[in-house]
Amino acid sequence: MTSAVDGMEHDLVGRFAVNVIGAGPETIMFAHGFGCDQAMWRYVAPAFGQDFRVVLFDFIGAGNSDLAAYDPDRYASLAGYADDVVLLARSLGIAGGIFVGHSVSAMIGVLAAKQAPELFAKLVLVGPSPRYIDDEGYTGGFSALEIEELLEFLDSNHMGWSQAMAPVIMGNADRPELGVELTNSFCRTDPDIAKRFARTTFLSDNRGDLAGIDAEVLILQCRNDAIAPVAVGEYVHRAIAGSTLSVLDATGHCPNLSAPDETIAAIKAFV
Amino acid sequence: MTGDGAILEVNRTFLAWTGHGAQALVGKRLPDILPIAGKIFYDTHFAPLLHLQEHFDEVALDFVCADGSRMPALVNAVESRDRDGRREFIRLAVFRTADRRRYELDLLDARNRAEEAVRLEREISQLRDQFIAVLGHDMRNPLASIAAGMRMLGKEPISDRGRRVVELVEGSVVRAVGLIDNVLDFARGRLGGGLTLARDATEPLEPVLRQVVNELRSIAPDRTLLADYALADPISCDRGRIGQLLSNLLGNALTHGARDQPVRLAARTEADMLRITVSNGGTPISAATMERMFQPFFRGQIKSNRDGLGLGLHIASEIAKAHDGTLTVTSDARETCFIFEMPLAPRGQ
Repeated sequence: MTSAVDGMEHDLVGRFAVNVIGAGPETIMFAHGFGCDQAMWRYVAPAFGQDFRVVLFDFIGAGNSDLAAYDPDRYASLAGYADDVVLLARSLGIAGGIFVGHSVSAMIGVLAAKQAPELFAKLVLVGPSPRYIDDEGYTGGFSALEIEELLEFLDSNHMGWSQAMAPVIMGNADRPELGVELTNSFCRTDPDIAKRFARTTFLSDNRGDLAGIDAEVLILQCRNDAIAPVAVGEYVHRAIAGSTLSVLDATGHCPNLSAPDETIAAIKAFV
Repeated sequence: MTGDGAILEVNRTFLAWTGHGAQALVGKRLPDILPIAGKIFYDTHFAPLLHLQEHFDEVALDFVCADGSRMPALVNAVESRDRDGRREFIRLAVFRTADRRRYELDLLDARNRAEEAVRLEREISQLRDQFIAVLGHDMRNPLASIAAGMRMLGKEPISDRGRRVVELVEGSVVRAVGLIDNVLDFARGRLGGGLTLARDATEPLEPVLRQVVNELRSIAPDRTLLADYALADPISCDRGRIGQLLSNLLGNALTHGARDQPVRLAARTEADMLRITVSNGGTPISAATMERMFQPFFRGQIKSNRDGLGLGLHIASEIAKAHDGTLTVTSDARETCFIFEMPLAPRGQ
């Protein structure tokens, strides 16, 4: 799935594990959310390779990204992640392109688009949420206590976050001699970075950033999403003038994995 | 569970562990019986991974029991698909792990405490090194004053006894300055500055070596120090540092060597190398000591009235290394010999 990335600084490709597939006059950039890596787009992204140059990458701390590049100060707020998106997009020469962001990376995309409006003409926000904690007159989906409990729990218990981020040789039917395989080789997330990313994500409040977006916006909302509930999707829809809200018949938070066909159809209709 | 995560069937064991009734669970989704962290973990990591690789092994999850308490568990999950590749169902194998979890948490806790202790130690160690550097530096001033004062006094008309006292004090100042130089070099090395070196071949080395020998003779006037020089070729080196090296070696020999035998110095150039040897008589050094004697703060098992810090040999060996050279030792009943060798010119010239 990797192809040579022309004109892009080699160390950026390595740092963010950038993969470019397909070809086309426009570029569509997919960003993953909290808890996973670019692999989560594997049922959706290839469908666009015929007509678009498709860009996939891992945020620092996920997948095959360079963990050494993780700077706790830079990534203490979503702005740091948005800076990375702008850096990558500029380096790839994206102009008037499409950004597809899942979960927290939807908001990261919004911040990036406001910072550099020339980069993206269209934004697709999948399961977005500008704030997860309930507030007066606002339903985020979680109480402050619940988020506190989440963060405390992450601090003390690694759950099943895939540990070793070291390179892995995939077991493969054609080459069984390469047998050694990490048990959980997708969605690799460094547990220490995951802790901090969780803090940054779940304590964020970007409601104020929803206004004044120049790009055209499509919101994809799952009908039964505990993390970004329907009320939040509707809030984002109301806050972004001219946006389109499309409710997918999907359960859970990751329609790109649980309902890839509907997701592809919804995005294709928009772009 | 269905492919969508709705609970279809639960075995009796799980019901017994958690106290839930079958009716209460069927139709609910797995996150409904997980605490908040588990819910978020399920929707952002567990479910995606399961969709991607059709299994997820060794997940540590807490289940919420009917009475609100938590049951720590280890879960293996597997997804099966029908002929069209659509998700049919998901099966979870759940293992209770209360004791295991406690053990893991204990380990995590112990590791955190150990890491914190190391960090603290490093901080303290760095402060200590900085303190040593400052102290050593500050002590040079009063010593310089003493040296200057003694020089002035030496020019005054004074008695023979007075002159003897002046010489003794000057000798002590030389020794004290040597100690401080070693301490500062050591502290600077530890703080990452490294041993500073300024190498050139513009002036001869011999006068520097002679000066060092004279200083040490003045400190130990009752001892015999024999010196033999055959330095024919230009030597590219830091003369101050080589002087420091010689001073440390001679001081060592005078301290530890037999008092009734001479200390010998031989300095010669041959075959593009500079070779300086310092030897003394007395009890041979044990093999165990020879292994460790170039390490900092090593003082061996000798005279306890030593006023050395155990840095002299370490600094000398660092100076040797900095010149691409070596400092080695041999020792038998006849004599103990320190050999310093270095190339006359830096590598690559």
